[in-house]
Amino acid sequence: MLAEGLNGLLGHSALIVGFAASLFGAMALIAATLLRNPRLMRTVQSYGTIALVGAILAVIVMERGLITRDWSLAYVQKVGSRDTPALFNFTALWSALEGSILLWLLLLATYSFVIMRRYRNRVGDPLVAWALVVMFAVTGFFFFLALGPTDAFRAAATPDFLRCCKGPNPLLQNHVLVLFHPPILYLGFVGFTVPFAFAIAALVTGRVGEGWLVETRRWALFAWGFLTLGILLGGWWSYEVLGWGGVWGWDPVENASLLPWLTGTAYIHSVMVQERRGMLRVWNLSLLVATFSLTILGTFLTRSGVINSVHAFSDSDIGPYLLGAFGVVVAISLLLIGWRGDKLRAPGAIDSAVSREGAFLANNVVFALFAFVVVLGTVFPLIAEAKDDRKISVGSPYFDTMARPIGLVLLFLMAVAPALPWRKAGGELLRDRLFWPAWCGAATLALAVALGGDGLAPLLAFGLAGFAGGAALRQLLLATRRQGYRGLLGRANGGMVVHLGVILIAVALAASNSYTRAGQFTVAKGETVTFAGHTFTLVDLTDFTTSRSVGIRAQVSIDGGQAYAPAISKYTAFGMDVATPSVKSGLTNDIYLTLENGSQPSTGVAKLKIFIKPMVLWMWVGGGLCAFGTLLAAFPGRNRRRPTDPVSAPIALDMNDADQPDLVEVEQPAHA
Amino acid sequence: MKQLKRWPGWMLLVFVVAGLLAVGSTRDSGARTPEERVQEISKQLACPVCNGETVYESRNSQSDSIRTEIAKQVSSTDATDDEIIAFIVQNFDARTQLVPNASGFESLVWVLPSVALVCAGVALYFAFRRWRNTIDLVPDDDDRQLVATALERE
Repeated sequence: MLAEGLNGLLGHSALIVGFAASLFGAMALIAATLLRNPRLMRTVQSYGTIALVGAILAVIVMERGLITRDWSLAYVQKVGSRDTPALFNFTALWSALEGSILLWLLLLATYSFVIMRRYRNRVGDPLVAWALVVMFAVTGFFFFLALGPTDAFRAAATPDFLRCCKGPNPLLQNHVLVLFHPPILYLGFVGFTVPFAFAIAALVTGRVGEGWLVETRRWALFAWGFLTLGILLGGWWSYEVLGWGGVWGWDPVENASLLPWLTGTAYIHSVMVQERRGMLRVWNLSLLVATFSLTILGTFLTRSGVINSVHAFSDSDIGPYLLGAFGVVVAISLLLIGWRGDKLRAPGAIDSAVSREGAFLANNVVFALFAFVVVLGTVFPLIAEAKDDRKISVGSPYFDTMARPIGLVLLFLMAVAPALPWRKAGGELLRDRLFWPAWCGAATLALAVALGGDGLAPLLAFGLAGFAGGAALRQLLLATRRQGYRGLLGRANGGMVVHLGVILIAVALAASNSYTRAGQFTVAKGETVTFAGHTFTLVDLTDFTTSRSVGIRAQVSIDGGQAYAPAISKYTAFGMDVATPSVKSGLTNDIYLTLENGSQPSTGVAKLKIFIKPMVLWMWVGGGLCAFGTLLAAFPGRNRRRPTDPVSAPIALDMNDADQPDLVEVEQPAHA
Repeated sequence: MKQLKRWPGWMLLVFVVAGLLAVGSTRDSGARTPEERVQEISKQLACPVCNGETVYESRNSQSDSIRTEIAKQVSSTDATDDEIIAFIVQNFDARTQLVPNASGFESLVWVLPSVALVCAGVALYFAFRRWRNTIDLVPDDDDRQLVATALERE
């Protein structure tokens, strides 16, 4: 038996207290709700606070262990080292599974606490009470994981420094984005627990109308915003660190983050149909259940060792627990949906496929199909191996082939949907509203062709992106002309800003995937090579040594100007080469330099790989717009429709301008 | 302006877009550089020893050898991309191609999404048909009475 140090003792104690608080909190809430006992109900606040304190304490203790190099902890031996710089020592918390679960736990306990404080005066409301029960239950499950299968505070024997204590994986101690990408991504993953909890509460209480949607509108939006930002930061990190010049490789871990984003995006669109028309109730519940359970499934796929991934920094025994949790979530949700089947029947009908709700439905079908393709491609190697005991890989070529037409359809829907009125659209109305956006698309296409663009798929992407951009700008123009800057606020208008961001990302992806130029050159010191209209001069090539690595760095002057410094580092403890690309970013293209193996400072000869990647900068600008648009969407717009209005209520005539033209159409006695 | 937005304006748009697409998609963008060809081939091969990386992405020494061999084949032979891939699969234990076959069991990965799409389309068709039937319901006397009572109350 290994002796437990102070940090181990404190950490375990914090986790046990947090686990007990979550368990008691859930039980107290259930008992208080069933027995209608307000006194018992009041104790719930304390349980939530204790659970949060437990999670915070566990994280602080682990950080203390990492910073003070407490080798009595197995986790510190696994990801700590004497040479890791302070920043990466701090981020080592989430550089392997056990610490990642602590981070997940901290965010989950924080969300639970904030929800509890937000609804402290309404905890007697069964909807809120059952939502908190779910939050407590999920928090308790993660406390259980942190205590058992992924125990970060497990004691370790005296370290053998020849074999252990190498620090985090080199890829996780090479760029500052490691500080931002995982926590922001987790904020998105964990954030979807809130709408999921309210969805389950709505099913349990039978209040399956639109009330719970209104309660969770902003939570879902923020979770989606964080998830979007987290995924983009991951792409940026990959671009800056991995050295292969791409942002997305369809790796199983990347796919695991994309899946909840796809179903979450479908949800934040289709939820508007339910709020406005009271329809798609089962579908929206299913999307939330899918979004939440896909975060669990994704974690299972990538952390259990069943699928290989460059991102899966450790294997563990957590698989059966996560798979079990996934099964329980899906089973309970399906049972509840089946039980409440009668109440989930929509009171209305979608009048026409050519309507806003028809477009949202089409959007949902496409997103669901996309999610199916990603799940299938990700798990297919497992299925093939189980069937034939034969290893196959399904990678970028498959996903790119499938994603291309889906992306084009989504761009088309983004172009058309904002112009469609609710209920039903006439041909003349569409001709009028889509005319200028369509010409925007044609102008974009013409520009792309004039600049030398070729290939049907990228040209279609540019044309449709211009069309969608025109539609979004038209909507924003109408709104701001009437309401000034307030015309940018609210879900409809903020959503259009998000659309503009997504369009920029789509254009940047289409351009960089289709028109990247690449060349490899062997260059001697002082020699200049020319590629794609640029000159590259090798100014210097030197060795360097740090406390963690040895490497080679080149100094390459681009077009006779500033020198850029691509490098290769060999992390001595791991024996692993990590490329550090150097990027000259510009509005029209990035010049991306990597130094290849075979470069020799002694002879002064470098092997350089040069990528000219068009429009990459706009991907990050688009990401910024998505984040900004999400914030705008979270603020209420002017004269917002009250959430308490029944869905069948007449639509107010003073709604924001973006929706104003719809009213005329609604008033038309199409089937009177 | 209204006139412009009617069918002549849209017809013009269709012609312009079709023309631009025809010009752009049939344009010869020139030969790929050897490095670009090496890239495209290496993106279709899985690194034999790494975790889910392609030969293109991986910095492993085996992937490095495969890239060198691809570059050699590209520069010194007339082999097509498929022939080079077949050669690498045979000689480098690169057992895993990143593109599933379009036949046999692996074809399911292509077929199932198409089946799902058709199923979704059929489901939507029936959903809209059901909704249309719902809308076609004519209000009966009880419905009219309900509305009249509600209006009187206001």
